Amino acid sequence: MSAGAQARAAASISGAREGRPSALRKLLARAAARDLAALVVPGPEVARAAGLDLEAAGLSLAAGPRQASVLVALGHPAGLPEALERAAEVAYAQMLRPRAVLTVGTEGLASLPFDARCEPDQESLAVAIDNVRRAFREGAFTEETEDFEAPALETRTIYTCSMHPEIEQEESGQCPRCGMDLIPKESAGGEAGTHHDHGTHVDHGTHEPGGHEQHSNEADEHADHDTDASDGGHADGEHDHGGHEEMGFMSMVEMTQGTPRSSDGLQMEWVDAPFGPLLPGLPGGLSLSLTLDGDTVAEAEASAQTGGAEKLLHGPASGLTERLSGLDPLSPITYRLLATLALEDAAGASVTEDERLRRIAALELERAASHAGWISGFAYLLGLDLLRHDAARLELRLRRLLAESLEPESIDHGKLPSLAAGLSRRLNTSRLLRARLRGVGALKADEAAGVGGPVSRAAGRREDLRSGDAIYAALGFEPIVENGSDALARLRLRAAEMGQSLSLARDALHKSGSPGREIGAARTLFYGSGSASVETPRGAATLSLTVDSGEIAEARLEVPSKAALALARTVAERRELGDALVGVASLDISPWGLG
Amino acid sequence: MGAVLAVVALIAGAYLVAVLEGWVSTGRLQPAGPLVSAAALLSRESVVPRSPDRIFFEVAPPLLLVSAVLAAAVLPLAPGLIVADLATGALFVNAALTFVMVALVMAGWGPDGAYAMVGGFRFLGQLVGYSMLIVMPITAVAMRAESLLTTDIVASQAALPNAVYQPLGLATFFLAGMMVCFLPPFDLAVARGELAGGVEAEYSGWRLATFRAGRAVLIVTVATATSVFYFGGWLGPVLPPWAWGGLKALAVAAVMLAIGAFVPRIKEEQLLAACWKVGIPLALFNIFYVGVLLITVGG
Repeated sequence: MSAGAQARAAASISGAREGRPSALRKLLARAAARDLAALVVPGPEVARAAGLDLEAAGLSLAAGPRQASVLVALGHPAGLPEALERAAEVAYAQMLRPRAVLTVGTEGLASLPFDARCEPDQESLAVAIDNVRRAFREGAFTEETEDFEAPALETRTIYTCSMHPEIEQEESGQCPRCGMDLIPKESAGGEAGTHHDHGTHVDHGTHEPGGHEQHSNEADEHADHDTDASDGGHADGEHDHGGHEEMGFMSMVEMTQGTPRSSDGLQMEWVDAPFGPLLPGLPGGLSLSLTLDGDTVAEAEASAQTGGAEKLLHGPASGLTERLSGLDPLSPITYRLLATLALEDAAGASVTEDERLRRIAALELERAASHAGWISGFAYLLGLDLLRHDAARLELRLRRLLAESLEPESIDHGKLPSLAAGLSRRLNTSRLLRARLRGVGALKADEAAGVGGPVSRAAGRREDLRSGDAIYAALGFEPIVENGSDALARLRLRAAEMGQSLSLARDALHKSGSPGREIGAARTLFYGSGSASVETPRGAATLSLTVDSGEIAEARLEVPSKAALALARTVAERRELGDALVGVASLDISPWGLG
Repeated sequence: MGAVLAVVALIAGAYLVAVLEGWVSTGRLQPAGPLVSAAALLSRESVVPRSPDRIFFEVAPPLLLVSAVLAAAVLPLAPGLIVADLATGALFVNAALTFVMVALVMAGWGPDGAYAMVGGFRFLGQLVGYSMLIVMPITAVAMRAESLLTTDIVASQAALPNAVYQPLGLATFFLAGMMVCFLPPFDLAVARGELAGGVEAEYSGWRLATFRAGRAVLIVTVATATSVFYFGGWLGPVLPPWAWGGLKALAVAAVMLAIGAFVPRIKEEQLLAACWKVGIPLALFNIFYVGVLLITVGG
């Protein structure tokens, strides 16, 4: 066994299925071991950003927790952000036995069992997956199994009236107002506001949950919505309960009276459905809470489940670059550079032009990798398998290049610019893609203005920190812009920027001469304050900080996705569900650092 | 005997389609893949969601399988290799395929989950788009054969297959067939990245295995129907009839499966607009055009 991978020393997997391991079951277990589907926490894009190819290592990507047999958790050595760990618990509870947990780059999660663990490199990942396979073969079935309960899924049953949701009592009976039979309603026992990525609760302990024959939760959803409605989200959303006091019978007109009305005037049952934080089609950690009116999104709320940047910013100044590089797993080098620049500004240090060129090369390569990764995830959402694979391959090569050494030859020899150009050409010529994406996620000029990055540049605005930089100017940099301000323009813009970044990186490396060195060699800084901005793959990020006695006394970090997150609602509301998701994905929100 | 062989052929076809689908989606050709996947599904628990519409939830997967098998029953692989050569065969195919929609809407409603429900209703909308495009091309095919017997339809193409005689009918039927099978880019009901599996999202274990088997049989059925109606079924030189029947059906299925990898998932509104504004006029024109051909040139 390689040093990078460890396996749990036990005869069975942690989520074994109950049953005597008969010959037939052993045969089934062997098949299960060969056919492992992964649910990735936080998401597959984080795995790719770490240079890991799960599919090449033999795991397929599951569409949801039900179809997954292995939960792959990628994290810092310290673990996952709190909210994501809760989401992982819920997802694990929804996965069906036999199931297992594989943790990558982290010491395991406090609340989840674990079966194998490995370092974040492809080789130990492959070894760890082999270990999981062996564990499945040998211990998918055991006679005794352990229960797993996710605290967020604990429920309490109360009884309520479908017409009078304010009536709630512990026992069944009749509604004191209208005399109808009360219906059971479940409320979450865990902390309020925990979003999980699935609409339904499942009881894993019992396979035959007591014959509920009716669709009883319609009333719940209705009731849930009713409480939301009073916050003024829409004018006609308030129930008038006063009129039903002595009613035994209610006509359909009366039943739907005062319920929310959608833009087409139809009155329908509104359903609250969480999308994310673990939905494979959206960035991991991004949570969309949608209120669906049929298949139209009536209300949308986006939030980040990643815990924010506060903890990372504070601490000794010497470790800041390291800490900040862990802020956003999708662009670690960019944030490392941001911290380095801010500290250098505080110290009044200057660097050679060679060093600045090498930094530009790393930054641009990471931008290209980030855009390729986004294209791959976007293609998954659109159902374009071929594009997904091609973009993912390109991203992985770029990420691995970044992890090794930066030589101009490695960019040229790998034919990376022509690969990127080929992708870009494909995206520009596809008429079906144009039909699918035009007008989706559209933003008005003023809405796109404040966001910065590709979202603004796709709206025809030349917002780019790089345009003011002398070295970029010497490399012949001109910001690319697209007109359209919709998902199509954003896709084309990112594809074009990918090629541009690769040429910039190559030219910068050619000019710099000496081979690359790691960014942000630790500097000792005791007092001072400074600030720096970097054009990240998603727009401008700014860090200003004050150092006192070698500790960060004050720090403020502005991440670009904050403005994009606020726009998620605009692009999702009153859109068909698929368009809403594509629109939100086209913003390329990175939930990391938003909290 | 012919009936038994036809069923065996259907099972073999479904297996081969599953192999092809695995090849398209993973890029690796694994002849044992479907067997492993099926066994892996059977190794897993099959739970019932907490408040299901139990009848709908349980009935949907077998109903999908049954409707696909019923439609296949009237399609000949070769002379004699048919389960039931009904006098209303061609229309029976259409009638049996209607239950695919029923099965998917039931699968969407049954588990009481938002993802599944949206998937089920999306498929109901999809039916509004494709159903006319199934039945209208069949009408034109039956006009030429002057019979609804599927065996007569094959025989009518001895001189010239319908693919050449009425290419418009083939185009509409082929695309509508992909919509029936909810194959990408018409996979709105499962929509992997959007709905976490949609109508499949709440199924697991043996129930999911049944659902997937039903889908594979459905693809074989629709591909066989396309081959019987447009490519002359078992007709062909040198090879024995059953080989031609099988090869043509598999080739159609392979094309259907391959298209999805290159094309983004269509939007529901665009699907409906295309079906009603383009598809139905074309299908009507096809009927008219075949009628004129039959009067002037002859079958």
